[in-house]
Amino acid sequence: MKLSKQAINVLEELQDTEELTISQFEERGYDQSMVNRAALELQEKGLIEIEEEEEESYELTEAGEEVRKEGSPEHRLLERVEEGDNRISDLQDLQIDVALGKAREHGWIQIRDGEVELLDPGEEALGEDVLKKRLGESRFKEEDVKRGLVDETTSTVRTLKITDEGYEIDAGDVELEFNVEAEAETPRVGKTHFYKDILGFAREKFMEMGFQEMSGDFVVPGLLNFDALYTPQDHPARDLQDTFFMEKPEKSDLSEYGEKVQHIKETHEDGWETGSSGWGYDWSEEDAAQNVLRTHTTAVSARRLHEIDVNEEELPKKFFIIGRNFRNETVDRTHLAGFIQLDGIVVGEDLNFKNLKAYLSEFFEKMGYSEFRLIPSYYPYTEMSVEVQVWDEEEEAWLGMGGAGLFRPEVVKPLLGYEATVLAWGLGLGRVAMKAAGLEDLRELYRNDIEILETTPKWRPKNRGEK
Amino acid sequence: MANIEIDKREFDELLGKSIDEEKMIEQGSMLGAHWHSIDGDVCEVETYPNRPDLLSVEGLARAYQGFFGIETGKKEYEADKGDEKVEVDDSVDEVRPHIAGAIVRDLELSKKKINGLIQLQEKLHETMGRRRDKLAIGLHDLEELEPPFTYRAVEPEAVSFKPLEYDKEMQLGEILDEHEKGRKYSWILEDEERYPIIEDSERKVLSFPPIINNQLTEVHSGTSDIFIDVTGKHEETVKKALNILVTALADRGGQIESLEVGGETMPDHSPEKEELDVEYFREVSGLDLSAKEVAERLEKMRFGADAKKRKVEVEVPAYRTDIMHDYDLIEDVVIAHRYDNIEPEMPKVDQLASQKDIEDLADRVRDILTGKGALEANTYYLSSKEKLFEKMDREPEEIAEMSNALTEDYAVVRNWLSPSLFQALHDNRHHSYPQEFFEAEDVVELDDSAVGASNRTKLAYLISGTGIDYTDARKALQVLERDLGVELEVREAERDFMKDGRCAEILLGGEKIGFIGQYSDKVVTNWDLDEPVAGFEVYLDELE
Repeated sequence: MKLSKQAINVLEELQDTEELTISQFEERGYDQSMVNRAALELQEKGLIEIEEEEEESYELTEAGEEVRKEGSPEHRLLERVEEGDNRISDLQDLQIDVALGKAREHGWIQIRDGEVELLDPGEEALGEDVLKKRLGESRFKEEDVKRGLVDETTSTVRTLKITDEGYEIDAGDVELEFNVEAEAETPRVGKTHFYKDILGFAREKFMEMGFQEMSGDFVVPGLLNFDALYTPQDHPARDLQDTFFMEKPEKSDLSEYGEKVQHIKETHEDGWETGSSGWGYDWSEEDAAQNVLRTHTTAVSARRLHEIDVNEEELPKKFFIIGRNFRNETVDRTHLAGFIQLDGIVVGEDLNFKNLKAYLSEFFEKMGYSEFRLIPSYYPYTEMSVEVQVWDEEEEAWLGMGGAGLFRPEVVKPLLGYEATVLAWGLGLGRVAMKAAGLEDLRELYRNDIEILETTPKWRPKNRGEK
Repeated sequence: MANIEIDKREFDELLGKSIDEEKMIEQGSMLGAHWHSIDGDVCEVETYPNRPDLLSVEGLARAYQGFFGIETGKKEYEADKGDEKVEVDDSVDEVRPHIAGAIVRDLELSKKKINGLIQLQEKLHETMGRRRDKLAIGLHDLEELEPPFTYRAVEPEAVSFKPLEYDKEMQLGEILDEHEKGRKYSWILEDEERYPIIEDSERKVLSFPPIINNQLTEVHSGTSDIFIDVTGKHEETVKKALNILVTALADRGGQIESLEVGGETMPDHSPEKEELDVEYFREVSGLDLSAKEVAERLEKMRFGADAKKRKVEVEVPAYRTDIMHDYDLIEDVVIAHRYDNIEPEMPKVDQLASQKDIEDLADRVRDILTGKGALEANTYYLSSKEKLFEKMDREPEEIAEMSNALTEDYAVVRNWLSPSLFQALHDNRHHSYPQEFFEAEDVVELDDSAVGASNRTKLAYLISGTGIDYTDARKALQVLERDLGVELEVREAERDFMKDGRCAEILLGGEKIGFIGQYSDKVVTNWDLDEPVAGFEVYLDELE
């Protein structure tokens, strides 16, 4: 009898154990597709039998997980109503539609004039959150699946069982069938992360263009993240929704910025010496000292402008940073609480909008995009404010890659102490990474699934000319 | 970004020309407003917060008339001289000091036009108005009212009226407690002892700004004359909002009538006058345009513009809120010139590139540890105390914490990396073993710097699988040590989260820079793992 090397290995395992499932083989370090191929080969020769069984498995979804931790919306509703919090408009922090729907279904409540009243069954149900308990004990019901609390997955469990004939074969006597066309197992090797590879590539490109790298801290005073960037203190970005405010450490000591704090204040209030009319409001130093997690790497560019000493460094100068930034968002398929941005600034006396367009188009050409355009946009700290778009040949659509512009004089003069032109941009490459790995869910960029890490090819730009 | 929905046919009618929808989607963006088709004739238009004058179909049509060259230059708005007045009482100074107002007559309103008007009102509330705090708008059918009007502040129980959407007389305090709008916006009047109202000469309350109007004055399709009030906390903003509303109504054929508000005649349509130096324009934009060409482009953006030899005299329409500096005028000239028509020009900036040492070191570490066989992880910087300390069986430490995090999962900034790598092992439980991860990234530590916290760069490494123990972590550390050419000392130590007798501190030149060990069964179980885990974590920035 002739058998492949793989089939002999599988047979030998089964001679020791009688039967194994495919996943048990995997635990022993076998590759799943290799075992399947070997199994078919052995079955054909009558040495093993393959048994297949459907197995259903259940796992809590994110919504289910929340019920398990926090309790079901309908039970939380009962508790709140019991506490006297019975106006529907006050209960919006619960998933109110679900809560009301379920509670009514159970006959726990009635609603009158926008107020929720507990009925007798509701009073009784208060005692224990049955759903929460059930999910906690993994006792799932069909209705939980329908409600989206539990994911049901069906998988086929394949068991390989040795036959009598299989037992009797002496593996040592089997003639080896060598197939040069058969695939070998691909070994697991060390590998860098695809997203970091792309960022590393971009970093190289900025250095090819002669840029110097900057660095900066995540926790910064609002002064750097907002005020120095001429973002008024009542700007919606400073609202609680978007920005992480620090509890620890809460405030910065701004004394290192010296008289610049006063200049920034005056610039906001009436334009100071910048030629601007300013925003026209009373600026608060307290708000500027409040620490935040930087919401853009532009805060690092602002810091760099503050640090440039005209006597030490001759203009023009150009700098870049690739760094993490933070937004107070609920994390889901399309939102993360942070993102990576590539910021660049070019500081000089004789720079203009055409130059800005040149740097951006050069960079994206190096990144493999042959078509590129700018369209008007808005940021409080730049003017012309532009959105940078590249043409994606696969999707046949313009993709937004970030923002750019000339820093306003209201930003430059207070920070530098004199007038100069500053070209600036903040770009994102998350979408490039998503495409490289064929991902639909943003969270996968940070989940490190071994299969995705292993199977994603090393990134290179699509169009590779001389750039 | 604010989005409005408009009817494309209405837009075309106001524009005076029918423009293909595809062309609007393609070219509309070049003005700075993005068009999306919804269905039928409905388009969604996204605008930026610097142009609240584009939040109506009228404002958009006015702007695109210029942009497409259908009608250029500053549009003139004339107000008839009116006799009506709004008296402003000092009592509002403390609570909501500013009011602007105007009357617009002879309107022919339809349901659709009223909806457009309400949309403009709501969007102005949300954007410029900072959710009604900075400004709030009331629109009133004039027919039921007897001017002059009075704007004053009264005690919560002093007056009552039937607010919109509620069929009973309510006092101001009751409205704040019970009415849906009252509850939504009561935060604006928090801690105030008196609340602002507008009433007519017969003491009928028209409005309780910024909360709700009297249902008596609700605008309907038969309304022909409207009284507009804008109240708020910032004088300039209040007046600009009035101008935006009034010009939109005038574009619809309404006749503006002036009103005396607190002794001042409103609306004031007189333009701000600016001078744009053409040489300055050329420096900033890089475009070699003449004064005449600059003026033509400004007119396309609906400014008044008069080209002189070296400068352009500019009249800024009273509804524009965003012209603070010559830079703003320059931007509009370049927009009219179109960004597409700008030729890129690389400047000469002679400079040698440089990178941060720590980034270079991190790159070497990537080479070394991937060569050893580990996968590089990319993980979240934000975490929870549960993951950083509880699950790791480590005493909680003082770390950087946010005050307003939406979820507990992202409420602190991590001060060490190993928990993130445990998360990676946890998420890969279904894949085969052994598994090996590393990451070289920043963490944040509290310190006594001016900010109170600083970034540090760390390196963490974990290996897990059947039979994995301390020795496997030690092997990886030795590869790192050898290939970086550093000499590290490993000295036995104890950590709660490591197995007894399987833990050590890592020292460089006598300074502690990290730890190495095999993790305790408790930690492994906490992360739902079945196989043993060993690893190390060091301050990478100490190895620079």
